[in-house]
Amino acid sequence: MDSTSLLRLLQWADSAVPIGAAAHSFGLETLAAEDLLDPETLEAFLRDYLEEAGSMEAVFLQRAWRGDNPRILSEELGARKPAREPREGSLKLGRRFAELVNAVTGAAIIPADIHYCVAFGLAGAMLSVPKDTVTLAYLHQSVAGLLSACQRLLPLGQVAASKILWNLKPAIARAAVAEEVACFTPLLEVASMRHGTLETRLFIS
Amino acid sequence: MTARLALRFEVAGGRTRVRVLQQDPPWKIVRAFPCAGGGALVHLHNVSGGVLAGDCLSLDIDVAPRARVQLTTTGATRLYRHQPGAKESEQTITIQVGEDGLLEYLPDPLIPFAGARHTQRIQISLAPGATLFGWETLAPGRQAMGEQFAFDRLRIESCVRADGRLALSENILLDPSRRPLPVTARMGTHTHLATFCALCAGASESLWRDLEESLNQVAAGNTHSGAIWGTSTLASDGVIARGLGGSGRNFRAALFELWRTAKSRVTGEEAVPPRKVY
Repeated sequence: MDSTSLLRLLQWADSAVPIGAAAHSFGLETLAAEDLLDPETLEAFLRDYLEEAGSMEAVFLQRAWRGDNPRILSEELGARKPAREPREGSLKLGRRFAELVNAVTGAAIIPADIHYCVAFGLAGAMLSVPKDTVTLAYLHQSVAGLLSACQRLLPLGQVAASKILWNLKPAIARAAVAEEVACFTPLLEVASMRHGTLETRLFIS
Repeated sequence: MTARLALRFEVAGGRTRVRVLQQDPPWKIVRAFPCAGGGALVHLHNVSGGVLAGDCLSLDIDVAPRARVQLTTTGATRLYRHQPGAKESEQTITIQVGEDGLLEYLPDPLIPFAGARHTQRIQISLAPGATLFGWETLAPGRQAMGEQFAFDRLRIESCVRADGRLALSENILLDPSRRPLPVTARMGTHTHLATFCALCAGASESLWRDLEESLNQVAAGNTHSGAIWGTSTLASDGVIARGLGGSGRNFRAALFELWRTAKSRVTGEEAVPPRKVY
């Protein structure tokens, strides 16, 4: 992997990359509103989340990186996301990520109608960055994004959020080497399904 | 024990009739009972009382075009303790519903006993115009015995295709000793899980969005200190409702209400609970 490719991947893996990720909490807003999530339990929650949903997305990303059909992968992943808001959020981020990558590279590399992790895997393969590195980068920015959402939902300061992200590195590394697509997050799914019924919402999902 | 039950439901003389293609013990059905709209109700019975270690059971259901079927069980599916040297138990359910057919799949809960190791696979394929209403509930073990997530391992793989489109796909691995279930990312403080689905291959997206709204109201009405429900459209062709609670008793009324509401909107018909002892 050359230095330029790594730098380009780091740019796309920045949680501030302009694709609208900051508008999504993927169900965490409901959990916070219903007092099921607090700063003390957040690190453990994210560790379990990585073991389930993080591992699942890692597997789909790697299949995209290896060259599996991205639209078939996306259909399969969409069917594994029973709650509409996070499913549509993942597709929306995928579309905006594809538009960004295609715009900055000047080539139509990534289809616009695929889930974010699938698009990210394709982008990493295009840069010839090893798949494990691409997976780590994707999961790291995902967790950073969720933590950023939690800073707006919970009394969670920057230092505390940084410490959680620091502590989660081993869990991110474990999720990145998952080989099996198994995911069991029913409370988070129900929270996502109930998100639209919250009286006040900061996030789209 | 390896055993297969294969049933084909066909329309003859304006009524749905069942043909038993294969019936190996411990599978047993007695007969098909007539039900509303010319349909047939069949009770699935496992005469051994549950799924034993090493069992490899399969259930194949073929619903012919325009046939109308209600399938239920005579009791909970009990998953017995794994025995050293035995294979993990398996139950594979394969369902096909032909054009404009209707299947209501309404089994009793799945109860994994302490030490159970089991895999359940469900593959459902809906032809154009075919409709499915189905639910599944999962208990944490024999609560009367004080069991709660004391099983070794439970894998549930479910896949529903509607006219070839992948509407729902789940691969759940419950391994309580390695992946604790009473955590916020999984079940929180709840012990029971229920899922309800309504699908009709090719029905309009607007129907599902409207139904999501209607089921949301049912979900809200059944969400209280003992249970929490949410609903959503699926990736295509249907809706799902999912509930978590502290008791299976909390679920029954909610599942019937979700089913009644969905059936009324999708087929314009009344949902009639299968005749059995509840």
